[in-house]
Amino acid sequence: MSEKQRKRSIFDVMNEYMEEFETLTDELMESSFPEGPSWNTETCCLHALSNVSITPRQVIITADLPNIEPETVKVEAVDKNFIDITAKMKKKVRFTDLGIYHRQGEFSSLRCQDRIHVAFDAEKMKISCKGGILEVRFPRKKK
Amino acid sequence: MLIGLPDVGLVGLIATSYLITELKLEEIAYMDSDLLPPVIVLHRGLPHAPLRIYGNQNLIAVISELAVPVPAIYFVMREIVDWGQAKKVKRIVSMGGIPVESRQAIMEPQVFGVASNQELLDMVTKKGLSVINEGYIVGPQALSMRYSISKKVSAVAILAQSFYNYPDPEAAAIALKEFSRIFEIKVDISKLLEKGEEIRLKARDIMKRTQQEMKRMKKSQEYDLPLYV
Repeated sequence: MSEKQRKRSIFDVMNEYMEEFETLTDELMESSFPEGPSWNTETCCLHALSNVSITPRQVIITADLPNIEPETVKVEAVDKNFIDITAKMKKKVRFTDLGIYHRQGEFSSLRCQDRIHVAFDAEKMKISCKGGILEVRFPRKKK
Repeated sequence: MLIGLPDVGLVGLIATSYLITELKLEEIAYMDSDLLPPVIVLHRGLPHAPLRIYGNQNLIAVISELAVPVPAIYFVMREIVDWGQAKKVKRIVSMGGIPVESRQAIMEPQVFGVASNQELLDMVTKKGLSVINEGYIVGPQALSMRYSISKKVSAVAILAQSFYNYPDPEAAAIALKEFSRIFEIKVDISKLLEKGEEIRLKARDIMKRTQQEMKRMKKSQEYDLPLYV
């Protein structure tokens, strides 16, 4: 192999780093959005879309909960990093109601589980639900 | 030609697919490319391309039941605009959402217009639509506008305030109402509003995948303020 072939330019090295970085970013993104069905036939739950935002003072979780009875919403801090939200639907939804005939199962609630990477005070949560959009606010714990 | 690809709140996709059903448009073409994932979608037992085109004598509508991967979006939008130009469409209209952080506090989302030239902008304003004077647009609408301008095809974007990452049938209904009013295409949006909750349940999966692509295309730049002194 000639000297010219062996020697890599700074741009090649940078390109390699960039490619590695992109692969890592993609892997991280995939882990944030794990593959799998958006339902669980054993627990009769449909997975709800949710979003977590962290401000300097608060942790704000929102969830899209269509077709639910607002008074059945349960927000539970499973441990110091994990929030479990469930709500009963107004009426059970079967796969056939969604136009799907090759699967079987019916769902009576919506559920989402979110991991929170900062300390928060679960005792002081504030919940509001409007038009099927749930908003839960927790104050962050001071270090 | 109307374009409704998955994007913020799935506004364009929900509005356009509802319009296709209401106007009973027929499937007339589809798009295939090695850049798109190996997917077909089954409806009433028959396979369809996820990215397909419907139409009648007066209207062509493009939808995708697949979150278009970012590396493919340039090709897809260029081909759609080229195809529209070849079919001599009068103008290209894309519907979509503008993300607003406090969407749940908004009773009736506002709709904004973007146009490819001054004449169209005047027309849109005359019809009573607010325009986006300063700002960024990212994604399918940005490319449809960019390629339409380069191909000298008139283009308009109709954008309703919507949730960023939750399906927003209400915003879709409002965008469609404005589209119907501006381009005088009669469509009753009441069924869309009635089916809102059902649509939100059914749209969770495509919204999740669209969210991944929106992150990749840095959609959040739409919140940025442009600088042109």
